[in-house]
Amino acid sequence: MRRSLTGTVNAWRLDRSDASRSSTKSGVLRGWMRDGRWLSIVSVLSAFVAWAILSAFRVVPSDLLPGPWEVFRTLVAILQDGYRGTTLWQNIFATLYRCGGGFLLACVTGIPLGLAMGYNSKIGAAFDYIVQFMRPLPPLSYLVLLILWLGTGDSSKIALLYLTAFPIVTSSAMAGVRSVKTQKVQAALSLGAGQWQVFLHVIFPSALPLIFTGARIALAVTFSTVVAAELMAAKDGLGWMVFSASHFLRNDVIILGIIVLGVLGMLLNRLILSLDAAIVHWRGVE
Amino acid sequence: MLSLFRTSAPEGRLDAMPSMREEPPLIVILRRLHRLAALPGDRWVTIATLGFVILLWAMVTNLGLVRDLFLPGPALLWAGFVDLFEEGYKSRTLWEHAGLSLERVLGGFMTGAIVGTVLGLGMGYNRKIEAFFSPFIEFLRPLPQLAYLVLLIVWFGIGETSQIILLFLTGLPVSAVAAMDGVKSTPVQRVQAARSLGAGDWQIFRYVVFPSALHEIFTGARLAIGVVYATLIAAEMIAGSTGLGWMILDAGRFLRSEYVFVGIIIIGLMGFALDRLLLYLERRVVHWAGKS
Repeated sequence: MRRSLTGTVNAWRLDRSDASRSSTKSGVLRGWMRDGRWLSIVSVLSAFVAWAILSAFRVVPSDLLPGPWEVFRTLVAILQDGYRGTTLWQNIFATLYRCGGGFLLACVTGIPLGLAMGYNSKIGAAFDYIVQFMRPLPPLSYLVLLILWLGTGDSSKIALLYLTAFPIVTSSAMAGVRSVKTQKVQAALSLGAGQWQVFLHVIFPSALPLIFTGARIALAVTFSTVVAAELMAAKDGLGWMVFSASHFLRNDVIILGIIVLGVLGMLLNRLILSLDAAIVHWRGVE
Repeated sequence: MLSLFRTSAPEGRLDAMPSMREEPPLIVILRRLHRLAALPGDRWVTIATLGFVILLWAMVTNLGLVRDLFLPGPALLWAGFVDLFEEGYKSRTLWEHAGLSLERVLGGFMTGAIVGTVLGLGMGYNRKIEAFFSPFIEFLRPLPQLAYLVLLIVWFGIGETSQIILLFLTGLPVSAVAAMDGVKSTPVQRVQAARSLGAGDWQIFRYVVFPSALHEIFTGARLAIGVVYATLIAAEMIAGSTGLGWMILDAGRFLRSEYVFVGIIIIGLMGFALDRLLLYLERRVVHWAGKS
């Protein structure tokens, strides 16, 4: 563990010096050539070309696999006229609203609970089994119950996403507190810090990297789950758009939806990574 | 071929693809959770809480504060449990539903994990392979699995094929990233030592890199089976006519909430058992983990 940690730090330093050396445009290009990153571009391009060829020569019937050009036209059409009375932005917003609502609620309640569970072994003992039972449960399994309890509206979906993210966020906060080195706490105590000061200045900052990691996992799982929930019962959202398109064999809309979802998922991941880098700048540095 | 271990600054290898190097912390949480068992002195707190929850449940349902439809009481739950075990659900026994779900999980997981691991080993070993495949893996990983289920259903119809392909695509990126990380975290010193003792490329792979990566591969497999299992339950609910996921959805439609509860408990226990099985296999196979 220790070795790989210093390795990462060294790698990071190397990376920094490398970047400053090759900050010119041609330097960047050379870096790409050396790393073989140009191959990534080649692979993406060749996938697109293969897709275009498959659909252009009608290897696959065009209603089963519409070509890239058709999907692009659908994008333009949906941006202009919307899809069955909902605009694309409205669907994106509905999905993000549910996802964000459930996720933020889980963070607001789960992180304090997890911190308390890690800090106090009695609180930990009280809630640990409940959280650990929820963690491996497939989230969709209790959607049926939530629909029974709360109806098919937004509240049952937000509750589902809350229950999805909650155990992940809570256990990562707990794991974060438990991974604080005892020496650090003892050092702070022997320097005269109070309980609260130890918590605020030693334990919380040490737990933050794992809290962020947990939040990232939770957000990814929440995002997958929201689409599943929208497939089951919804009147808007990207999942609904994809599902309803399948009833009308509108494969262009399905593929467009998948691409939008993929890009959105990558953006969400990037967002939380950059938050992580901005806030937890001490990650990996002992 | 093994050029990555011969570079003058071997540690620099770790940053080849910064966006792909970020996964291990996820695994760290999984590992940390093993240390979280409650202290023996606090066991009474655990028992007291669980007892309190069960007592509250029994009281609320017995006093009729909540309707049986919303929260079945212990007696009704037990009756539903016995019923499902003896009668089965909709012309199939409970074992058949569970067996079908298990079959799909294992089918999709095995194919996805094997292909993903081979791909990940290649990606960790060779920068060009990594550069070529990483865009697809990066796109596939955050994509909600159920989104492409719809496309698979249109292409292959509702049935085993589309579900197995869905699970294959779900497990593949998780296993691939774990295997790649495993290869990359092989200590360079070990490879250099083997090389200076005269080992060839294949020998280094077979006796040094692969054994070092095996621990991460197994951790990746545990992550993958969790995701695959969750996806399968969702897939059965959306497009299925058998399996545990379909069973609870169907029971929910007929407002048989005691079956829903029993189904959730069985699904949870089966997921737990799958995870433990992989953990057991890992301990048996990778007995050298953590001893370097």
